[in-house]
Amino acid sequence: MATEFMGLDVSAISAWTIWILPFLAAVIIPAVGKGSKKATGYVAVGLALASALFATSLLPGALEAQEVHDQIPWISSIGLKAGVLADPLAVIMANVVGWISFLILVYSIGYMKGDKDIVRFWFWMMFFIGSMQLIVLSDNLLQLFFGWEGVGLASYALIGFWYRDKAQHHVGKEGYSTLGIMEYYSPTHAGMKAFIMTKVGDIMMLAGMFLIFAYAGTFGFKELIGDTAWATTMSAEGLLVPAAVLLFGGALGKSAQFPLNEWLLEAMTGPTAVSALIHAATMVKAGVFLVARLGPLFFALGAAGILADQFFEIIAWVGAITALLLATQAVVNPEIKKVLAYSTGSQIGYMMMALGIAGLSQQFVDGYTAGFYHLISHAMFKASLFMAAGSLLHVVGSRFMTDMGGLRKQMKKTYAFMWAAGLALMGAPFITTGFWSKDAIFAAVYESGNTWALPIFVIAILTAVITAFYTTRMIGMVFFGKKSKHIEKMESEGNHIHEAPMLMWVPYGILAVLTIGIGIIGLSAEEGIHELFTEYLENSFGIYSVLPEVDESMLPGFLSGLNPIALGSSLIAFSVGFGLGYIFYIGRWVDPVKFVNSNLFFYALHKVMLNRWYLNAIIYWVFVIAPLWLARGIWRYFERTAIDMGMNVGLERTIGWSAKVVQASQTGIAQSYLFVFGAGLLFIVLILLI
Amino acid sequence: MEYALLQAVFLPLLLSPLVYYLGRKVGPNAATWFSFGILLYCTILIIVAALNGTYEEHYPWTELFGEFGFLLDGLAAPFAIIIYVLATILALYSKPYMVHKFKENFHELYQSKTGGGSAGQTTAIVESSALTEYVNKQSGIYFALFLVFSMGMLGTVLATNLIEFYIFFEVMLVPAFFLIAFWGDGPRRRIALMFFLWTHVGAVILLLGFLTIGLSIGSFDFADIKESEIPSDVVLLAAVAILIGLGVKLAAFMFHIWLPYAHASAPTPISALLSPAMIGIGAYAIFRLIIEFLPGQYEVLAIWIHIWGLATMFYGGAMALMQDDIKRMFAYSSISQMGYLLFGIGSFSVLGLAGAEMMYVTHGLGKGLLFMTAGVLILQVGSRKISQLGGLAGKMPITAVCAVIGALTIMGIPPTSGFMGEWTLFYGALETALEEGSTLRAVAFGLGLVATVLTMAYILWMLKRVFFGKLPENLSDVKDGSWYMLAPMMVLAGFTIVVGIYPDIFFNKIIPYMSGVLGG
Repeated sequence: MATEFMGLDVSAISAWTIWILPFLAAVIIPAVGKGSKKATGYVAVGLALASALFATSLLPGALEAQEVHDQIPWISSIGLKAGVLADPLAVIMANVVGWISFLILVYSIGYMKGDKDIVRFWFWMMFFIGSMQLIVLSDNLLQLFFGWEGVGLASYALIGFWYRDKAQHHVGKEGYSTLGIMEYYSPTHAGMKAFIMTKVGDIMMLAGMFLIFAYAGTFGFKELIGDTAWATTMSAEGLLVPAAVLLFGGALGKSAQFPLNEWLLEAMTGPTAVSALIHAATMVKAGVFLVARLGPLFFALGAAGILADQFFEIIAWVGAITALLLATQAVVNPEIKKVLAYSTGSQIGYMMMALGIAGLSQQFVDGYTAGFYHLISHAMFKASLFMAAGSLLHVVGSRFMTDMGGLRKQMKKTYAFMWAAGLALMGAPFITTGFWSKDAIFAAVYESGNTWALPIFVIAILTAVITAFYTTRMIGMVFFGKKSKHIEKMESEGNHIHEAPMLMWVPYGILAVLTIGIGIIGLSAEEGIHELFTEYLENSFGIYSVLPEVDESMLPGFLSGLNPIALGSSLIAFSVGFGLGYIFYIGRWVDPVKFVNSNLFFYALHKVMLNRWYLNAIIYWVFVIAPLWLARGIWRYFERTAIDMGMNVGLERTIGWSAKVVQASQTGIAQSYLFVFGAGLLFIVLILLI
Repeated sequence: MEYALLQAVFLPLLLSPLVYYLGRKVGPNAATWFSFGILLYCTILIIVAALNGTYEEHYPWTELFGEFGFLLDGLAAPFAIIIYVLATILALYSKPYMVHKFKENFHELYQSKTGGGSAGQTTAIVESSALTEYVNKQSGIYFALFLVFSMGMLGTVLATNLIEFYIFFEVMLVPAFFLIAFWGDGPRRRIALMFFLWTHVGAVILLLGFLTIGLSIGSFDFADIKESEIPSDVVLLAAVAILIGLGVKLAAFMFHIWLPYAHASAPTPISALLSPAMIGIGAYAIFRLIIEFLPGQYEVLAIWIHIWGLATMFYGGAMALMQDDIKRMFAYSSISQMGYLLFGIGSFSVLGLAGAEMMYVTHGLGKGLLFMTAGVLILQVGSRKISQLGGLAGKMPITAVCAVIGALTIMGIPPTSGFMGEWTLFYGALETALEEGSTLRAVAFGLGLVATVLTMAYILWMLKRVFFGKLPENLSDVKDGSWYMLAPMMVLAGFTIVVGIYPDIFFNKIIPYMSGVLGG
């Protein structure tokens, strides 16, 4: 199975190389940058390509459900090893990450052209990719945590990349505030917010890791599934579900799921290439990957009678709530990148929903495949959409969609590609990957037979309607209608609106075409992954899928394997959302502003959604303003008064005062000395007599 | 390798007059490089000695006190290495910073003498030769004191006898007092006196504990103390006295008020040595004196140390948020970090204790870096008020990178050594909570993790206000520091990453020792 070369296991070396190469690139880039700034970009792209090729070299083996596992000693004083685990899940993920980030890097060469801090940009991009691949390929939780914090760090550095905080790099509207919290963020503020908020998830994850380590004595995934005695003990003590949920806390933070979702919006202050990377390939996908990594483990324990149902219920509900919550906010936001950001959070919610529902159904592999397939298709279309949005920003010079409009004639390619990728996001039937993956999720939820299946299914469909609507709105506002004042002003100043350079449109073009291309064969692609995962889950976790009951399918031809209710709902959701969007933003038969203002209910709803359901403001009040207020109080009334004055100044005064007393007694008059001496003598004699 | 430790401890002391002479006759360059050479040699001696497992030396001393010995075991080695590595590189770092300080002091002095004004060509010439002489003399004194300060710290962690320990403990205070009194900022003499009084009172309480133990068993040697049974009526008293004495040293909550003054005022290279290296010696002493020698009392006190540590973590962090003076902020941060150490010491588990010691290492590297950053800012920008800084990353990129690495180390983000300290420490806390089924400990563990978010908040906020954001207009000509300052910082930054990726360098020493202590 393993290819040997000079006594070395080639596939193991490839697995190590996939994540080491980007780090190596990060290390050499500053050195290269000393010579030529321009060369750094080519070094980065070249090594990213090499890393992706190594990932692809593992693909044939992975598709036959083989796995590569290699370990080296690490912290030997505690008996911990470092290692890579390239099983089908990891290899497919590594390919998605590797290739999408490669395309984003190519795009970045054009997008970041002329930036004077370009060396720093490439350094962090490669660090980001390396950290992500480290998460994907780690064979244990502790090593995974290195990558986990690595992506956090890289996102902090890249979100705040334009650290000089110029006005054009802010997000939000200046002067607009919600409950007294200004909704206008500088890049450095946003980076800090992302890092601290995800850290809140990370400490939960650490607590979960520690709990498991305390019982299992290992962080290794293979070891954890190999001997499940730890789980029995933990379950008996009621700690298994808490530990699992705490681990999921890490995913909450990284994947921006409710209630740790608020950092994702401000993350839009980074260069658009960074947003694409965060949203498509790295960072937010890390959380989903973690759940995909650990989900089967906790499900497999069910065979031994150790159920972790609450864990999966929490995942499914968090996913459902996030999907709906963020989709509603995407509907009203005027900034194109923010719409896409909300959409990412919402789509990740779908993935979480599917992975959660997988653990609640008999047929684990259905939900599991659906969630992961959606991850892949989302990675493609979201990367494409972000890069296209970056081109728009680049050309128009504004982040507001109200500053665009009527661009379909000048930017034909971007227009076409955005439609393709946008249709995938909407789940346009039969020809897009997004349709098949979303349909698989609906079917998995519907068929799970869980108590919560119906409400979650309804939320999923509702979210699909909203998704189709806001995507249409976005495309309508950008490409249809009249030119905005901003563009007219630009053109009157002689700035001609033109298509983005080739280096930029080719990457998102490729992804948009792939979205449709794979979409056409989408059903069989999904079946392929399904088959592979069925085998993988059997081999690695002992999760056997139940054979589907053979019933007469109501659907004809190529649709025969599909669930008719899920399919029908999906079609209806798409048509309703798209239709409404068309009415308001493409056909422009009804003016949305007038429509919202016509009715108090819509007005209030619009306001709540625009103010992010007040969640962001509440978080600031409770976790930023209140603690600062408390600290200031302690500083003023305890540290400065009680401690400093009491201990230092008070002590000093006391010493000074007693010195004065002693000084005063040293009069130098012999009589008074003699008097005191005599009195003392008398006192002693008296004491002795008594 | 005979006399390796004797040399490492006493060479700096014996050669300090020579350094003074060199500085006075030749100038600051000679004094710097000579001190650096001595310390480098001694550092290498220690590292080589530490490579061969436990290493000890014994010399006869007085009948009354016992032996004069040096012990470099799993506990002492990381402390000794960090102390001397920091001292060595800070010797180089001192040069530009201190020469600047000497000149500043000279002008202060000169102006007060001549009453300002009256500038003329003759005075300028007189002034310049007087200045050179002044700088030479001052640098001689500075480096001589620097060497004695370093050897005092090293002697403390290597001592094998209570009285010997106490002597070294005081030996490091005296030069530290003079270093602050001569070259501090603000009301330096007052602050130096305050520093001396506080730590001295702490030391006296510590001495009371020592005397209680020594007199009740009739020996001050560590080896004897370890083997003998101390009468139970006095031992808890002794343990509490030692703990309070060391609590002052560690600047634990309620005994901390001297630290922000001393560390903010001390000349920055000395702050960088005081803050991570010196106060952490309190933790060393708790390991040695309480955990190793008085395990019964440790069992009783552990939970209190744990909670004391937690309070210190939060308190220091919250106060750090309120500071505008960058060095004062780092000083409060050090208090908070000492809270981590106490938290780990109170965890009562092998990995928790190992984590606490690792935190000493990592705090030495991280806080050392941050204080050195503050020094570069003071020298290059001329301001230490955070509110007057901003956007400096573009002006001083190397300093900014080193500061970020130092910040990551303090925040405990991999791949810096901070993470290795933090995860073992917190895991240890959880382990004991689970073993004892103690809700109190479980809650403390959770709150401890929350404190890491607080740490992250004040550190990131500091970075944002100093290095990012808009550059104030008056700072547009700022340049990065000299290589004397940057190269030492880069060494530390590299070191923290190496330890973070391959912590066995220290864990291989620490963990066997800790399991020996707790398992035995």
